[in-house]
Amino acid sequence: MDLCDQVDWSSVECLNQQPDHAISNALKQGYRDDDGLYLESDTDEQLLMHITFHQAVKLNSILIKSSGTGEQAPKRIKLFCNRQSLGFSEAADFAAVQEFELVPEQLDGKPVSLRFVKFQSVNTLSIFVESNQGDAETTIIQKIALQGSMGQTMNVSDIKKAGEEEETS
Amino acid sequence: MEAVVVCVDNSEWTRNGDYAPTRIRAQTDAVNLLAGAKLQTNPENTVGVLTMAGKSPKVLVTPTPSLGKILNAMHDVDVDGQANFDSSVQIAQLALKHRQNKNQRQRIVLFMGSPISETKDKLVKTAKKLKKNNVAVDIVSFGCEEENSEKLEGFQQAVNSGDNSHLVTVPQGGVLSDTLFGSPICQTDGGAGYGAGPGGEGGEAGGSYQFGVDPNLDPELALALRVSLEEEQARQTSGPSGEPVTAAAEALQVPPGETQAEAGSTATPAATPAVTPAAPAAAPSNDGPEPMDEDALLQQALAMSMQEEQPAPSGAGAELAATPAAAPAPASTPAAPGAPAHPPRPAGHGDEAMADAEGEDEALQMALQMSMQEDQPPSQGGGNGQHQGGS
Repeated sequence: MDLCDQVDWSSVECLNQQPDHAISNALKQGYRDDDGLYLESDTDEQLLMHITFHQAVKLNSILIKSSGTGEQAPKRIKLFCNRQSLGFSEAADFAAVQEFELVPEQLDGKPVSLRFVKFQSVNTLSIFVESNQGDAETTIIQKIALQGSMGQTMNVSDIKKAGEEEETS
Repeated sequence: MEAVVVCVDNSEWTRNGDYAPTRIRAQTDAVNLLAGAKLQTNPENTVGVLTMAGKSPKVLVTPTPSLGKILNAMHDVDVDGQANFDSSVQIAQLALKHRQNKNQRQRIVLFMGSPISETKDKLVKTAKKLKKNNVAVDIVSFGCEEENSEKLEGFQQAVNSGDNSHLVTVPQGGVLSDTLFGSPICQTDGGAGYGAGPGGEGGEAGGSYQFGVDPNLDPELALALRVSLEEEQARQTSGPSGEPVTAAAEALQVPPGETQAEAGSTATPAATPAVTPAAPAAAPSNDGPEPMDEDALLQQALAMSMQEEQPAPSGAGAELAATPAAAPAPASTPAAPGAPAHPPRPAGHGDEAMADAEGEDEALQMALQMSMQEDQPPSQGGGNGQHQGGS
């Protein structure tokens, strides 16, 4: 399932984004399917996104789509789990949970499957875009979609039953 | 919501007394003000303090929501050495990066009162790094503002992203905290910051608003005040047609000079003061029967008992009812001396004198009589109520 609904928007942070082309353009439902709205880096080509979820999730795959010209599309991606105070220097130096390079096919909207076992309990996912395809000054990302499942499935009807059980017992 | 680190310049240059009392004390004042403003804008804001000079830049307080800690830290700042702009900013950025609440925006407020030793290129590089990490930087330049202006402008331009960073220059002889107060540094987070508050510009402008309250700043309070005023006005104007009580009050509201002139022209001068004691008797009844003045109550009760005694002996029930109202009233009103000694007589005189005096002013007399009739049942109730309450 799409984890878009599980994102805690107040805690989402993107470093080095342009104020006019913020991360919500790439991550939010509706915005990300609009080709005119995209996320763009500011001072250089790097981007660092911290995406916090309401609860621990399991990640299957990630989709990173770029509408920019080949030059500005992201290339080298590093993913980190539950590292909220990660900065650019640490992100560049530390070993990532998974790192990969995007190929043009994936940039057109093909999801990148992740090592499922490594993303079993993700509260905060940090996506570090280290470089872009060309040597362009800025990086453009049009859409980010995260596929996975919730850590512990929670059903509202189950909660009610548990409450009733407590009352009766 | 913001986390702020204030960088204070405590280099030897800040011993200079060109900003009263000294540059460093002026900064202390400004930091107090700024921290207060920031913490008041949002209860979740935090402010920390860092000194730039000395052996090395030193974080005195990590970002905290407690104003006391900040003021305490500012008290102990030692003046020593030379300010280290570049590393101070980087240390401040580290302090901000490890803030506890990641929802807070990061901001550095930098006071610069000594010449900057670093080159402009280095500063711009640092600025870009800060911008990349979403750190906003406000700079207050004073003391060496001309020397530093080029470097600081370059720095500010490089770090500015979406107009979140500002450079404020305080010329020599200016007051640091005053300049800061009206500047965008104190008025971030949605425009209506501390600077527009009651203590500042708002306070000066307060007189020009209708109730001394800026309706833009506190619309609910302003609305409540206006509604209250309108209700009061409506209450005052709706009276005369329906309620004789209010009519009497309005008749009494004729300026005293006029009343005296009228009375004086036709009645004896001795009668004139008699009108005046009658005034408080009728005027409080404007507010309804309940909260009546005790003196007025007593006078009315006595007058009524007199009326009952003289023309209508048949109203025994009414007399009985009126007497307890008159009797307990003195007991509960120590402010009415003499009345318990001769209950009916003084009041009778007063009543007659009052009637004489008011004979000249027919409208007034009518109104007073009507008000007394109107108030007869409630005054008994009020008197008994008071008696019960008093005992």
